[in-house]
Amino acid sequence: MVSRQSDHSQGSERSGEERPGRISRETRAKIEAEMVKFPVKRGALLNALHLVQSETGYISQETIEELAELFEIHPADLRGVVSFYNMFHEHPQGRHHAHVCTNLSCSLRGARALLRELEGHLGVRSGETTADQRITLAHEECLGACAYAPVMRVDETYHEDLDLERAKKLLDELE
Amino acid sequence: MLKVPYVTNYLTEHFADDSFATVAGYVARGGYAAARKAITQMSPDEIIGTLKGSGLQGRGGAGFNAGLKWSFMPKQTDLPKFLVCNADESEPGSFKDRILIERGPHQLIEGLLIGAWATGSEKTFIYIRGEYAYPAECMQAAIDEAYQKGYLGKDVMGTGFSHDVVVQRGAGAYICGEETGLLESLEGKRGQPRKKPPFPAQYGAFGMPSTVNNVETFSHVPHIIGKGADWFRQFGTEKSPGTTIFGVSGHVVRPGLFELPLGTKLEEIIFEHARGVPGGRKVKGVIPGGVSMPILPAGMLDVPMANEFLRERKTMLGTGGIVVMDETTCMVRVACVISYFFRDESCGQCTQCREGTGWMNKIVERIERGAGSEEDIEVLGDIAGKVEGATICAFADAASWPIQGLLRHFRSDFEQHVKLGKCPFPESFEL
Amino acid sequence: MPIITVDGVEYEVAAGRTLLQALDDLGVLMNGVDIPHYCWHPKLSVDGSCRLCQVEVEGIPKLQIACDTPVKDGMVIHTKNDRVKRAREGVMELLLVNHPLDCPICDQAGECKLQDYAYAYGVPHSRTKEPRRAAKKRVDLGPTIVLDQERCILCRRCVRFCREVPGTGELGTFGRGDRTVLDTFPGIALDNDYSMNVADICPVGALTTKDFRFKIRTWFLDEIPGVCTGCANGCNIFIGVANNKVYRYVPRRNDAVNQTWMCDAGRMSYKEIETADRLTGVSVRGPSGALEPAPLSTGIRVAAERLRRVADAKGASVIVGFGSAHATNEDLFTLRRLLSGLGTEAAAVPVVTGKADALLVKAEKAANGSGARALGFAEPGRVIERIRGGGADAAIVLGHDLLDASFLGDTADLARLDTVILLDSRRSDLERVAHVVFPTRHAAEKSGTLTNHAGRVQRILQAVEPRFESYADGEVLHRLGIALGLAGFEGDYDVRAVSREMARSVPAFAGIDLGSLGGEGAVLAGSKGEGER
Repeated sequence: MVSRQSDHSQGSERSGEERPGRISRETRAKIEAEMVKFPVKRGALLNALHLVQSETGYISQETIEELAELFEIHPADLRGVVSFYNMFHEHPQGRHHAHVCTNLSCSLRGARALLRELEGHLGVRSGETTADQRITLAHEECLGACAYAPVMRVDETYHEDLDLERAKKLLDELE
Repeated sequence: MLKVPYVTNYLTEHFADDSFATVAGYVARGGYAAARKAITQMSPDEIIGTLKGSGLQGRGGAGFNAGLKWSFMPKQTDLPKFLVCNADESEPGSFKDRILIERGPHQLIEGLLIGAWATGSEKTFIYIRGEYAYPAECMQAAIDEAYQKGYLGKDVMGTGFSHDVVVQRGAGAYICGEETGLLESLEGKRGQPRKKPPFPAQYGAFGMPSTVNNVETFSHVPHIIGKGADWFRQFGTEKSPGTTIFGVSGHVVRPGLFELPLGTKLEEIIFEHARGVPGGRKVKGVIPGGVSMPILPAGMLDVPMANEFLRERKTMLGTGGIVVMDETTCMVRVACVISYFFRDESCGQCTQCREGTGWMNKIVERIERGAGSEEDIEVLGDIAGKVEGATICAFADAASWPIQGLLRHFRSDFEQHVKLGKCPFPESFEL
Repeated sequence: MPIITVDGVEYEVAAGRTLLQALDDLGVLMNGVDIPHYCWHPKLSVDGSCRLCQVEVEGIPKLQIACDTPVKDGMVIHTKNDRVKRAREGVMELLLVNHPLDCPICDQAGECKLQDYAYAYGVPHSRTKEPRRAAKKRVDLGPTIVLDQERCILCRRCVRFCREVPGTGELGTFGRGDRTVLDTFPGIALDNDYSMNVADICPVGALTTKDFRFKIRTWFLDEIPGVCTGCANGCNIFIGVANNKVYRYVPRRNDAVNQTWMCDAGRMSYKEIETADRLTGVSVRGPSGALEPAPLSTGIRVAAERLRRVADAKGASVIVGFGSAHATNEDLFTLRRLLSGLGTEAAAVPVVTGKADALLVKAEKAANGSGARALGFAEPGRVIERIRGGGADAAIVLGHDLLDASFLGDTADLARLDTVILLDSRRSDLERVAHVVFPTRHAAEKSGTLTNHAGRVQRILQAVEPRFESYADGEVLHRLGIALGLAGFEGDYDVRAVSREMARSVPAFAGIDLGSLGGEGAVLAGSKGEGER
């Protein structure tokens, strides 16, 4: 029995008018502004993916197809790039990311025990999202804050010198 | 936001002052004078000669003479040339580049300008790891101000020389800190390192001649050019001159950053500057330069922190990320953490690295669980040996060395796990 | 030219080549100098990640990968010492750590480079106790290929192939580290005209063709060198035969003609051999007006009598002949001699055309249009005009391309002729107007030579024997010549003798005959060949 791939159209043909896509006009403009900074427009890809993900929360298949057209590369090629990096997500995420560093310096100072407590507190396992879609909890590799371990990155902000109470409070305050 | 270093020197002495991150504050402390001198009074060859003579070793982990690397850039070429600043800092135990970017961005820009003039580069790409969102903001703010005030862009400081700086964000992949993995990622691809040769000076960013250096390396440059190679050599050792910013973490009373001359003894850094181990416990082992570097046992802490001495102890300076582990620490658990990291971060190209990091991690975790055998310890060591020295980039070496170091000095921890069928260190950090 | 020494033997090589390229140029790679490799392929860009081709280069401390080491004059290489042996053992052991134990159900078995190199260069037993990585098995990648992600050793040849050869780029690697997998983008299938080549270049059973899946074990197959007959490119192939049945075509390397590739359509054209509409016996139109089975001798006698009668009544010039671009040079040479012997020079060849591409596929959808033309068969226009103008009364017709819309379109014009002798391998409307029908062989069922678009003459050797009555066109025509009492036609049909005669009497074929041709063919005098590839 040979498994079938999902049936999906290859993408509509280029038309003159703007298609309603997943990437907003604003973000598109930002991406185009990035492209001119690089000798080859593909150089702007990682910056573009960050821009798109900050808008849509994750990089969907449709987004990949749209970006592939914009950057003139094959979707398989682009998805290969997206799937290589920890920070890009191909599935919907919680509204907030809470990542606890579990590398050596942080583990030495109790980071893993902290993560386990937070798992219990939120009712999810590391890598999962809370039922209300509020928080995706995960572990992360060294964040570059080793002297202030344990460290948690919440979205774009580092929270250092954590203890369990402070960590829980931080998470509870997230909407 | 990172605390400023507890011990400072020429790189970080003004970091407590918020204004140092602004043009006005930087210039008031003599900033950009070295760049002006370099561009208006020195030839590229002179600058490269000075840098070579200074003995500045790259501070990104490999320790390659920076001036020598700059000299590889082709002098006569129609191709555009680029500098690439490696701000991917992802080596576990390392957090020094972060402070240099947050508190000394203009110092970095000045280093880039001098490097650009010396190599004929028209643009710098600063590749900064994706998780460093705040440092990237700081960097971009400084860059924007530098453009506004004429320190970047066309006709820098009225010298006629032009240079641009672009910030590219990484996205969470340690291997993008490897010079050619970085270049691939910069080009918008999977960060899979390239075969060398060709070296970046021949085929670099977007195929153009490029020089890749670490944040800290560039940050030393204005000081060396401003005050001279001889001045620089007063710090550090003969073979490893200058200061570096050591990061100390783990089981110490005062973890943090310490800018000290190379050659400072490890025990001085741990017991004096970082104030020793909490609870009066003994040190069991110390990783001297970030997790890729083999561990040192307690009996070797008198080693001066410079490559020529560390190599004799079968380890290296790396990024100066010192991780202290006290007597409660189970080294097999340490091996679990480290081997998991390398397994996760392998790009996956080379057979030995892809399969070897996975296998080593699985064996270590099985030994830790108490399901290992004496033979497994043998196999582990053997695989580490097979993975080393045979791949496109040094990541495989970096993955193999820690395991070799742990087996070399702490084999008994592994043997006890096997004998007892569980971890013999009840007080050790939890996995 | 630089001289390098490999295991004590000196080789003169071309400058600018890598070690693997240089040894491959000389034809000694894996054929005297064994440097096993996975990711390198002579026709793809260099990857360098499998690490199996490591060799010792004197003067360089670390082992070097031969695929990326440029040759230098005076270079000394060792491939058989302990260091290299251990390095290979290391790579093989590590590759097998996660590789599934699928040999019993894997199509690649018997021609699997993992099996071969593990046996030759690997360690005798595995030390791993860990569970193997799980990934997707039996993935439908598209119309022609099945993927097993677990078997993949991530050599990425297939990814490079799709990007560099057809330029379609459907394949990619996803993820990182030991979780990396090969796959397509969801919804964009692996679907290009050359897709099945990925199964050839895949060293293991990760990529296999749906067509060949589970059909037969490769070690039962005889791989007989042949030539694809789907178009005028003449891609070199191996015909996989077992029990007198063709199971597959795979490309055979010929750097001038097709490098290491062939198109999917050509690869699948082996199915033409055993179609249901093969002509399986001689038939003669009887007094009732219907075609009735007859023995060969009767068919020959009736055909000869009819041709004689027409020639005697109206002169030989009313006899015309249509060669087939699917027939061999020898078949066509025999027809030409027959027609000349009868006294007519009206010889034409209809060649059906279609789309060509920038790679291998040529517009002429038959293998031997060039051969026919070199042997004096003209464009059909004039002869068709003669037929329509009433200037012809008998035709010998090979094949049914004549009925294509670009030529006659239908049988009406031929219906008016007194005599139509048809030689064909498959049924067609031409039977309705033929007076005698002879069943003929597919290229795989006979020996001979074919001339491709660039004038390269290539030999084919019989791979299978038809299970029904069937003859080489040349054999039928030879017997007809004998029955007609023409000079030069005697004894049994001997294709090699015919080929020699062709080489002797047709200047373009000088020195080129079935017996003297090697596996790579030879270019007709006056043709330019394919040029640099």
